[in-house]
This record gives sequence, structure tokens and C-alpha cells, in this order.
Amino acid sequence: METTVENVAANVLDEFEIPPLSPRELVWRRFRRHKMAVAGIFIIIFLILYSVGGAFFLSESYANHTDTSKRLQPPSAEHPFGTDTVGRDILARTIYGGQISLLIGLFAVAVETIVGVLIGAIAGYRGGLTDSILMRFTEAMFNIPQLFLLLVMAKFFAGKIPTIQLLGRTFSGSVIVIIFILGLTSWMYLARIVRADFLSLKEREFILAARTIGTSNLEIIVQHILPNSMAPIIVSATLGVASAILVEAYISFLGLGVQPPTATWGNMLDGAYNYIDSAPWLWIFPGILIVLTVLAINFVGDGLRDALDPRTLTE
Amino acid sequence: MTQYIIRRLLQAIPLLFVISLILFVLMRNAGDPLATMGGRHLTRPDDRARLSRQLGLDKPIYMQYLYWLIGNDWTKMDVDGDGIPETPGTRRGILRGEFGTSLITRGKPVLKIIWERLPNTLILMITAEAIIVVFSVVIGVYSALRQYSLMDHMVTTVSFVGYSMPIFFIALVSMYIFAVNFKKWGLPYLPTVGMFDPQTGKTSAQVALHMVLPVFSMSFTSIAGYSRFVRATMLEVMSEDYIRTARAKGLPNYMILFIHALKNASLPLVTIVGLDIPMLLGGAVVTERIFAWPGMGRLFLDHVSRADTPVVMGILMLISVAVVVFQLITDITYAWLDPRIRYT
Amino acid sequence: MRRTWLYPVLTVIVVTAVLLTSCQPTPAPTSPPKATEPPSKATPIPTSPPPTAPPAERKIMTIIFTQEPATLNTVYSSMWFESILHQIWSCWALEYDDQNEAFPRLVTEIPSTENGGVSEDGLTITLHLRDDIVWSDGTPITAEDFVFTYQMYMDPANAVASQYPYDHLESVEAPDERTVVMRFKEPFAPWEAWFWRGLLPKHVLEPVFEANGSIIEAEWNLAPTVGCGPFVFAEWESGSFMRFVKNENYWLGEPKLDEIFIRFVPDDASQTAALVAGDADLGTFPPLSDVPALQDAGLKIIVQPSGYQEGWFFNFREMAHPAVQDVRVRQAIAMALDRQAIINDLLLGLTTVAETYWDGTPVYVPDDIEPWPYDTERAKQLLEEAGWTDTDGDGIREDANGNKLTLVHGTTTREIRQDIQAVAQQQLKEVGIDLQIFNYDADILFESYSNKGPAAIGDLDIMEWSDLPTGFPDPDTDYWLCGQIPSDENPWGYNYFGCDEELDALFGQQLTTIDAEERTAIVHEINRRMHDQVYWLGLYSDPDYWVVGPRLANVKFSGVTPFYSIMEWDLQ
Repeated sequence: METTVENVAANVLDEFEIPPLSPRELVWRRFRRHKMAVAGIFIIIFLILYSVGGAFFLSESYANHTDTSKRLQPPSAEHPFGTDTVGRDILARTIYGGQISLLIGLFAVAVETIVGVLIGAIAGYRGGLTDSILMRFTEAMFNIPQLFLLLVMAKFFAGKIPTIQLLGRTFSGSVIVIIFILGLTSWMYLARIVRADFLSLKEREFILAARTIGTSNLEIIVQHILPNSMAPIIVSATLGVASAILVEAYISFLGLGVQPPTATWGNMLDGAYNYIDSAPWLWIFPGILIVLTVLAINFVGDGLRDALDPRTLTE
Repeated sequence: MTQYIIRRLLQAIPLLFVISLILFVLMRNAGDPLATMGGRHLTRPDDRARLSRQLGLDKPIYMQYLYWLIGNDWTKMDVDGDGIPETPGTRRGILRGEFGTSLITRGKPVLKIIWERLPNTLILMITAEAIIVVFSVVIGVYSALRQYSLMDHMVTTVSFVGYSMPIFFIALVSMYIFAVNFKKWGLPYLPTVGMFDPQTGKTSAQVALHMVLPVFSMSFTSIAGYSRFVRATMLEVMSEDYIRTARAKGLPNYMILFIHALKNASLPLVTIVGLDIPMLLGGAVVTERIFAWPGMGRLFLDHVSRADTPVVMGILMLISVAVVVFQLITDITYAWLDPRIRYT
Repeated sequence: MRRTWLYPVLTVIVVTAVLLTSCQPTPAPTSPPKATEPPSKATPIPTSPPPTAPPAERKIMTIIFTQEPATLNTVYSSMWFESILHQIWSCWALEYDDQNEAFPRLVTEIPSTENGGVSEDGLTITLHLRDDIVWSDGTPITAEDFVFTYQMYMDPANAVASQYPYDHLESVEAPDERTVVMRFKEPFAPWEAWFWRGLLPKHVLEPVFEANGSIIEAEWNLAPTVGCGPFVFAEWESGSFMRFVKNENYWLGEPKLDEIFIRFVPDDASQTAALVAGDADLGTFPPLSDVPALQDAGLKIIVQPSGYQEGWFFNFREMAHPAVQDVRVRQAIAMALDRQAIINDLLLGLTTVAETYWDGTPVYVPDDIEPWPYDTERAKQLLEEAGWTDTDGDGIREDANGNKLTLVHGTTTREIRQDIQAVAQQQLKEVGIDLQIFNYDADILFESYSNKGPAAIGDLDIMEWSDLPTGFPDPDTDYWLCGQIPSDENPWGYNYFGCDEELDALFGQQLTTIDAEERTAIVHEINRRMHDQVYWLGLYSDPDYWVVGPRLANVKFSGVTPFYSIMEWDLQ
């Protein structure tokens, strides 16, 4: 449009008539600009469809069906991803394995977030001795390298929890174990961040105001402080899912993760490196799926971080 | 400053106690080292009862922890099973510098076991860390300066991919390409097992050759992550006012880059590297397993799987102490580098 | 502009660095299969010496170990990889040949009731030592070394791996340098197999014992420079390799090889790679899926029966599932498993079905044992008879009260076992049995009763692992003794299976029956009962698998003392 007086006036009037964007819409807009993050969302949707939707085409018993005469077959029409060492179809196993891997990722992050926020909030809000003790504990846990702590804890819990039935699927008890130990070894970073936020927020005027009118501590924490520190929690949780899936793959690779026959992408890689050149399809497919998932989640997390925190925008 | 250091060191002591307690309890409940002492046969009950007594494993867990901490030469042990303690203990405990002896390699001091493997891990990790730092800085700076260019996008994408890959996937892929397939295609190929070829001996050339694939696998992931970090901090620094002033003053670009921007951007990197160094001692557990590198990571895996508490505790405590010490060093270095920070 | 040069330079640095980290100009070639070269630590030797080598070309045999020994001292050996080395650098009083028959090594003849070595009442055994036996440093081996070894086994300060069977002895005496007299508290039939497996040098270890009160920290444990075998320990680099060189003072003559080099690799894949590339001459227990590749590369697979059988141990104690306590259900399971198919598919047909626990010593297997056939119809019939029918049509049987026939199966984490579990689960599903499978690390599976180990407290109905009679090649076994059931009073007992009074009596009888014929008859009875009652279901025979390279000649193995003929081995 040409820059005429009428056009400029029209634009100015438009400015007044269009309501300002709410914070949520602003975040969404900024997120949308991050092309890779949007791509990440599409990939995640695809993977979820793959794991959940694929279950409608191939049953779980098919995924666990062994046929030793057909072991270690390369990809073919009948078995698009090939078969594993006891003749199970790898495509079906990646579908069901995907369900478990994603489940582990989500629930581990849930545990991690709950524990981290709880400890961080209590420490930050109460201060004093409680804060000191909790932070010493956090530091102690933080100082032990995660992989070592995981290995020791995995050994500790091994074989102590039986199988469970949920949503029509049978899970080995080691899934619960993995979820808990993943969550229990990664909350420390979040606790620190939440505590820092709480420490600074609790001195603000609106908190003092809430306190003077008699709002209970719990209400203050949940309704006032927590919503304001959501940004780092969300980002940390998102990236935490990627991290959890990766770490699950690591400990399954070392043989201490989810026990067969329950498949996860991680434990399909366990022992597959003995077949590195004789049967590469054993590890290529689950490996690619792990990389795709983690990549997508990392993109989304990166996008969220940029969108939620205006200070890191660089132009 | 000295006061600060002393205070931090004093704070570290209860921390280490808590860590050791948590780990000890976990380890003692994580499997029975006596269960597999029969080799391929079940351990005989008489031997199991006897060994449990002779190795001090029948005591309640707090007593075992106490002996591990301060030794048992101040008390008598019942070694011959008659119920009456008569033999003075010989252990001095970790607080007096004795890490105990391994349960699996009976009688071999834990420190000796660790010392045999420690140099191997250090060689690998220090090389890897050096490569990681150099390349992260170079790539990160380059990306920051050439923001949104094609190169930047390519590097960013590769970084993301590398960052998302489990380390063993990269190791497997690199093994597959550079060792297995190169060999098939008749190209010179890289070795994938161990630290040196035993027939040729432990020479620098051999070790360097065997280091290539493990270092590559480890660096790839870390360079991916750190270069993004460097890029972000560089971008932040480059948009600061004092850089703009320097440019307005007409300073040549390389001076701005190296003297002003890089120095300030590298401060957070110091924190990260400082915190990474104690992790070096742990070794890259997964990498060492894949490439059969005889280091601390593999030592840990072997002994954890056979529930050898003294060795596992020895390794973990060494790492924890190193972490605490290096955190302190990092903080002090940071304060020294950044004049804005003053510790009371 | 001044800055334009910076970026191309950086790019070049980055690109070359990336290229450098992924390529390497000159690899170290693997040693060619023909020539041999001494390993040198200081100078790298990139290529093998030309065929016109100097006359003293050393013959070095390379063995690959997939596990590294923890100690070399024979009293602390618990790993297979440690005990097979005994014939290389140490010596046993008796050793075993390729038929698993004993022959004398340090003694002049095997004691028996005929030659007076074993007394009539079975309480005294006399060993006569050879005149020419010496340690590798020239000191003669005498009866004093035997007495010293016995004392070291029994001294509590040494915390040895196992005191079996020395704890059955009342005393060991050396009336003169060439005679050893062993006195027992009770007649002990399995004496031949397990005594004097490895001798300790008194002149080396006694000073250590006197000084420290124990030999547990002796340097000799990790570097036994004084031995009595055809080779002597030379070097051990932790995590990498171990070397043994020819024993110049060996009393039987000079071994043909000059050196044995043992290389440690982390897993089977590396072993296969090394063998196929010709970097090694001998390997152990290759994964069966690698066998075709190994054979293509010119390597031979030698299968040596060692008494080990892989089988299912049934738990018939009172806390087990009521079904598995019923012999008919166990028999049904025996007939519902297609064991031959498992062997053909998962084990490449390289071994045979195991039928009894004593298959490794055929003399103890009676002729009238009939193998369980693969007969699913008969299995279903037996299950119906036992009261387990599928009333609700879900494919799993229930009993009259509606309890499901769900059995718990536990084993270790080895891949082959996980594969077998998956296959068994499916085969048993066909006859209506639901198998729940668990895997544990070995040290958790066999945790003690007081620590709630799953096998010990009876959580598992069926347990699978590979084992052999305790006294192999003697038939003595104590797993099924009623006195070995773990309980609060006896927390270390390892009878995880159950108590059968009749069987218990038979086991006790054979232990003290010295007469060979009588004893064999008793063992036959035991065998028949165990087979009929299906207390143990054999899956497959688990022999030693050796991968022998083309360079080796005169290779013979034993199932008990694998390297018994090592001094005859040669390289061509």
C-alpha cells in the first residue's frame, strides 16, 4: 500500500481497535517463529501417532511372538525392519517399545518435576535451617555423577518389583523402577532453579500484600509464586523428557534397564552391538527413533526457552 | 578470601559424609558378592557362612559402615567362627587413608586397583576435554559471528543432532563406518578394541591410534552442546554496549573479538569446564565399555555388577571429593577472572 | 576489510580438524598369520619380520579371554578363566585327559584299595610323590608343600574361596618327603576329584604367612613367579594381557611352545573379530551365531564335554505354586518343551539334549532311562488329570478353585537364556501354562535367604542355569539334601528346590560308599528317581567350546583340566 495520509490514518486506527495479545498468544507467536521448534512439534506428533496408532495395526502378542527359525532376518516385505535374535518382528517392537520409552520419559519427568519443585519451593519459601538442610542434601545428590548413581540404584532395585498390568498391557516391574530412579536422580537442577526463584519472589510486594490479607502459605505458594516461575519449570520439564529417554537408553544398553520381553528402544540396543555388522538393522532402527525423538524434543525445548524468556532474544 | 575457602571446605565435610552414607547403604543392598564366588557352581553354604564372617559381611550395616570409615584395628574380630572375637582387625579405615581391599580380587588394595586404571582414563579424558574446549570455542565463536548464515544453520543443525544422539549410537556408527566398513572396502581402518595392540606394545603411537574413535565419540556430543552455549554467550556479549563503544572507537575487529568479547564470554565456559573435570575421573563409562578401554569407567562397571563395595565406594568417594574440590577451584577462578564478584 | 581472512581460516581449521579426527593415515597392521614376533614394549614394530627371520623364532600362542581373572592363586580361584590356567603354570596331583579320566601328575599312581593307597575302611589315603618333581626355581616339590597347602586352606585368616573338600580331613601328614598321608573323619567317596587342585610353594609363601599372618595380600597371588607347570608366569598388565613363558626346569621335559600370551577383550564380538583376523590362536565359548563366520575363516570348533548341563531346576517346596509341586505337572512341562527345536534354532544344532544331571559321566546313567518325548497331547492330558483345565477359555488353565496356572521362571541375564525364556513361554502357552519370566544378575538371583534372594526364599517356581554335579567328575551332589534347605536356622543352605526323603537318604549313602560298584548302583537309583519325578529337567548339554586357529597342532582338551596336554601343543 502506498504511504498516503488516509492509509496511515487507517493503520493507526487499526492499532487502537485490535486488542493487545495475551501473554499466551505472545509466547505462541514467538514460538512459531522458531522454525525448528515447529518442526519438532510435528515430529513429536508423528512419533506419538507411530507408537500409539501403530498399536492398532499390530498386536502386542505379535510383537512378543518368537519364531526362532526366522531369527536375524534382514528387512523384507513381511518384516519391514527385519527380525531380532529370537525371530520377533522389529517394526512391531519399535512401536510397542516407543510406547514404553515415551511413557518412561513422561513419567520420569513428572517424578523429577514434583520432587524438584517441592524441595525447591519449601527450601526457598521457608529459608533458614530448612533451606540449609535441603540444599546440603541437594548438593550431596548433585555431586554424585548421575550415571554412577543410576547404576548403583538400578542394582539396588533390581528384581524387587513384580510385573503390573495397565491399560491392557503387561509391563515388567523394572519400568516402574526405571521411572523412579530416573526421576530421583535428576531433580536437583530444577530444585535449585525453583529455590532461586522463590527466594527472590517471596520478598515482592504482591506477596507481602497477600500475606497481610491473611492468605495461607499454601495458597501463596500455589496461586501466586508458582505461576510466576512456571517458565523455567516448563523448559526444564521439556528438556527433561529428552534427557530421560537418552538416559534410559544408556542404562538399558548397559543391561540394567527395562528387562525383556518388555521392549523399549533402549533395551533393543542392548547386545545389538555384538551384531554390529552382521545384523545392523537390530540397532539402526531403534537408534534412529531415539535420535529423532530427542532431537524433536530438544528443538521444542529450545523454542520454548526462546519464547518464554524475552531476555534471550537476540536480533 | 581465605575465610571463604576455609568455610567452603568445612561445609564440604558433612556433605561428603552424607554422600558416603547414601552410597554405602545403596551398595550394600545391591547384590551379594558371595553369591557368585563359587564360579559356575553355587557357592557352598559352608564357604558362604565362613566367608561372610571372614570378610566382615555378617555385621549389621551400620557396623560395616563404621569399619569402612574408621577401620577395625581398635577392636577384635571373630575370624575362626567360635563366637569369640580374638583377632585384632587390620583395617585403618578411609579416614586414615586406607580404602580397604577388594572383595572380588581378594586382598588387593582398592587404591592399587584404582591406580592401575586411573592414568588410562586420564589420558583419554584430558585429550577429549582439550579437543572439546578448543572446538567448542572455535565453532561457537564462528557461529556467533556469522549468525544466521548458512554455515551457522548447518552447524546448529549438526549440533542439535549430535546433542540428541546417545553416545553409544555415535560410537556404534563410527565403529561401523571407520572400522568395519573401511576394512571391507580395503581402506586403512581404525582399531576398536583396547588401548594398544599387545603384540606391538604400549607405545605412544599405538595409544594415540586407539584413542581416535573413543575421543571422537565423546567429543561429538559435547562439542555439540558446548558450542551452542559459547554461541549464546558470545551473542549476549557482542550486543553489550562496551563492544559497540569499542567498535565506534575504531578498534580492529580481531582485538574486539579476542581481547574484549572472548574473555568475557569465556567466563561461563570456565564454570562448565571446571565442573566437568572431576567427571573425568569417572571416565566415560559407556565409551570405555564399547571400546574396551581399560579405564575407571570399566572398572566401575565390572565391580558394581559383582557388588564389590570397597572398590565401588573408593571410586565414588574419589570422584565426590574431586567434584567438591573442583567446584571450589572453579568458584575461586571465576572470582579471580571477574572483578565484579567478591566473596565475603 | 581486515576481518575477512579470519573466517575462511577458522573454517579451514574446523574442517581439517573434523577430517583429522575421523581418518588416520597409517594404521597398525594386525600381525599376519604366519610369522611370529616377540612383543616388545619400547619399540613399535609396524610390520612383521621377513620370512628369513633369525633362527631363534619364538613360538607364541595367543589366547583370547573374554573375562579377566581376578587372582591367580589357586586357593582363591573361583572363575573358570582362573582355574583353566592352572595346568599352564601350576600343577594338580591328578589331572584329567580328554575322556575326563584321571591320570597321575605329581603322584606315581592313583591310590586305590587294590594298591593299598586307600585303606580298607576308607579313612586313610596315602599319596606317593614322584622323585623328579621340582618348582620352576629348581626347589624340589615335597610332601611338605602338600601339608602347607592344607594348612593354608584351613587357616581362617586366609579367607580362601572354598575349603571343600579339605574340611572333611582330620589331618594331613608328611612322614617323609615323598609320602603324603590324608586321614578322614568319615569315609569320603568323592576324594579323588577335588583334592590338591593346585599346590602352594611353601618356600615362597610361608615367609609371607609368618610375616603377615595371612597370604591374602601376598604378591605371589597376582604374580606367581614360582610355579610347577610347563610354563612360568611372566607378566600381567591389568585390563590388557597376561604372559607365561616356557619353564626351563619342567620335570617332564621342554614344552614345544615358547610363550603363551593371553589377551583380554571385553566381549564376544571382539573375540570373534580377533580370531577371524588371525590375531589369536585360541578362543573360548564363541556365540553360536558367530560359528559360521569362524569356520569360514579356517578356525575349528572343538566341543569338549565338561559335565555342565543347562537345565530347569524345579522348586517343589511348600511355598511354590501348587501346580509345580505336582509331579504330573512337571512331567507335562517336560513333554511340552520342544528341546530339540531350541537346540536346532538357537544353538545351531551344535549340542545335544540333556536328559539327566549326570549325562557328563555316562557310567552313572542307567540304561533304562527313557528320554521325555516332545508330546503336547500327552502333556495336555497330564494337566487335565492333575486338575488343571481351561474353564474360562482364555488359554490359561485353572484349577477347581479358579487359581491360574501361572508359573514364575527366573534366570540370569545372558542373552541365550532370555531367548530360551521367550521360546519356552510360547511353547508352554500352547498347553495352557502361563510362564512369567524374570531375569536377574547372578549375584542378585543367588542372594542369600537372609537378604531375600528370589531363589532362596522360593519366589521362583522354575530356575534355569548351567551346572554340574558338585564333585564332577565324581557324581556326588548336595543340592537336593534336605539339610540344605534355607531357613532362619540355616540361612546359607542352597537347596532351593525341595526335600525328598528317599532321595536324601540315597545321596547320603553314596557319599560314604567306597566300593565303586555299589556306589554306581546307588547313583543309578538317584538318577532314576530324579528323572521320573522331574526334579531337574535337562535342556541341553553345555560343553566347553573352543575355537582353535589353523596354526595350532597337537591340540587336545579335557573337560576338567582343559590344558592338560599344553606342553605338547605346537605352532606350525
